[in-house]
Amino acid sequence: MVKEPRDLIPIIDELGYVIEEELATVLFLMLKLEKPLLLEGNPGVGKTQIAYILSEYLGYDLIRLQCYEGLDVNNAIYEWNYQKQLLAIKIHESGTKSEKEKEDMIFGKEYLLERPLLKAIASDKPSVLLLDEIDRSDEEFEAFLLELLSEFQISIPELGTIKSKNRPIVILTSNRSRELSDALKRRCLYHWVDYPSMDKEMKIIKKHQPDIESKLAEQIAEHIQKIRNLKLDKTPGVAETIDWAKGIAALDGDPNAIYNSLSCLLKSNDDIKNVREKLFN
Amino acid sequence: MKHYTDYLSFSEALVGFVQLAREEGFSTGIQCTKDTIMVSLQELWLDKDIFEYALAALFCKEEEEREVFSSLYKKFWRQKGTVLQNRITRKNNNNFSVRKASTAVMLGTGSSDLNESGEESKTTSGANTDETAKLTDFSLLTEQQALELDRLSEKLVREMSMRIKRKRKKSKKGAISISESIRKNIQNGGTIMNLAKKDRKKEKFRLLILLDVSGSMDKYSFYLLKFMWALRSHFKQVEVFTFSTKLVRITDFISEKNMDLALSMVSYNAKHWSSGTKIGESLQNFNEEYSKKYLNGKTMTLILSDGLDTGEPEILETAIQNIKLKSKKLIWLNPLKGMKGYEPIQVGMKTALPSVNYFGSAHNFSSLLELENILSHA
Repeated sequence: MVKEPRDLIPIIDELGYVIEEELATVLFLMLKLEKPLLLEGNPGVGKTQIAYILSEYLGYDLIRLQCYEGLDVNNAIYEWNYQKQLLAIKIHESGTKSEKEKEDMIFGKEYLLERPLLKAIASDKPSVLLLDEIDRSDEEFEAFLLELLSEFQISIPELGTIKSKNRPIVILTSNRSRELSDALKRRCLYHWVDYPSMDKEMKIIKKHQPDIESKLAEQIAEHIQKIRNLKLDKTPGVAETIDWAKGIAALDGDPNAIYNSLSCLLKSNDDIKNVREKLFN
Repeated sequence: MKHYTDYLSFSEALVGFVQLAREEGFSTGIQCTKDTIMVSLQELWLDKDIFEYALAALFCKEEEEREVFSSLYKKFWRQKGTVLQNRITRKNNNNFSVRKASTAVMLGTGSSDLNESGEESKTTSGANTDETAKLTDFSLLTEQQALELDRLSEKLVREMSMRIKRKRKKSKKGAISISESIRKNIQNGGTIMNLAKKDRKKEKFRLLILLDVSGSMDKYSFYLLKFMWALRSHFKQVEVFTFSTKLVRITDFISEKNMDLALSMVSYNAKHWSSGTKIGESLQNFNEEYSKKYLNGKTMTLILSDGLDTGEPEILETAIQNIKLKSKKLIWLNPLKGMKGYEPIQVGMKTALPSVNYFGSAHNFSSLLELENILSHA
């Protein structure tokens, strides 16, 4: 474990993620205080990636739960393995077991399907639990998370309460498509992940495309900064930048590579037209 | 403004800082104080930058708070003697001063020529007073009728929302719960004979309202706004924007429980009240700034406007198409439609109409109650 936040920077960098001092401090704190971390920011700025990098750095398993509207307990925590239960009932149909014994049997642990949250809590090994795009889930689910994030335990009516042996490291991400409740925010550390500065973006491009010429990387980063200032349907994130850099590299030798590969970066016809008009004319 | 040197010890200064942050509008509780002390125990305070980042992660809960925090931090932990400018304004505006003058403009009494004995109000005479108030065109309401309508409107809206909810419930069928079914049928040896059903899941219902408050809507917008206020407490997710030449989000104000306070807050903040109309540009602005946040396939979008646009029709066309694409249904209520012989031939209305799912009137309360049918069939 590192002694101070700055020590994290080269380590994370080594793993392929460009990180600045502020985020390093927040990650350091999260590990020290054992608090969940809420990362907010526009789509495609690398929020989810942070969880992956962290699990790699710590050597923990990453358990990911993609949130969506209508996500419920069955998909997030646990579900019974119905097929197996039905089969078991059939097998023991003519047996000597009483009804009570049969019920206890088919609601035993081996008939339980662990979903991400239960997996993270019940696991013997420590893990990184990523709750991705939490803003997409319903308020009811958010309320449920409150209990989980403060107690780190889950109760299953048929089995009793399962307490975490190793508190998972929890990262929540949100695109801020709605405001999260104050109660949830209060339980978390908070960090806003912004679009990278030009310098940082150049570093990112070079990290993912090591052979790229500095001049070209600079050009790409410069263009991206300008494009983000335009009013677009979908502002490109870092992931798109990387795609674009790869696209340009793939068109090696094409003098108009930057212009021709815009479709790697922009995902709507209007946006492409708009950018071509404003930046390339 | 206190400075860390004003405290006797470092830990006192820490507690003092938490208190100060609370006074400045940050939501910091005891847990936050504890965490702050934990952070300091990690010796992060040795580096001022790192210490700021660490505290920011504990104190800030929104992107907007970060800058305010930074300046607060600098003033407390660094230089001495400057006044903090940018406090965070809390959502709860209890000390809000009610502005009578602007309410008058909203009421339409500031600029309109109320024709109390207008022909159309005569045609409704003969019904009982409640019915009269419901059916009279908003622009022709007498003061007495306006009062009656106030009394009526909340009750009617409440009843309406109840009915919508009930209808929606009935029309849904519960899904089968496999786990419950197995348990129920153990006695049958696992052969599923009786099905157990899951509780019905409440369907999410998002309502987005774009209200035209330009000069030409003067006589209507106040009542429409009241209607919005009554609506918002009955639907879980309602977002309300006003527009004329500019777009303003008023959801936070309209969620105030006291109606008068809510309305005066809206009038105070919607400074563009009674100005010209640029529907296209306002909607475009909505698309750029808010549509990602508030529109999804489950959103019902409701536009309340007379469609008298002074902007470019092309802008309106693209903007309204985009809104249509991203919402479940687009409803346009136009107060002018209640007039005899009205036809949507103005450029603005004509441009918008092809994208609209439902085009209705909104000139009196009873026409607003029509919303019930539209919403419950969504």
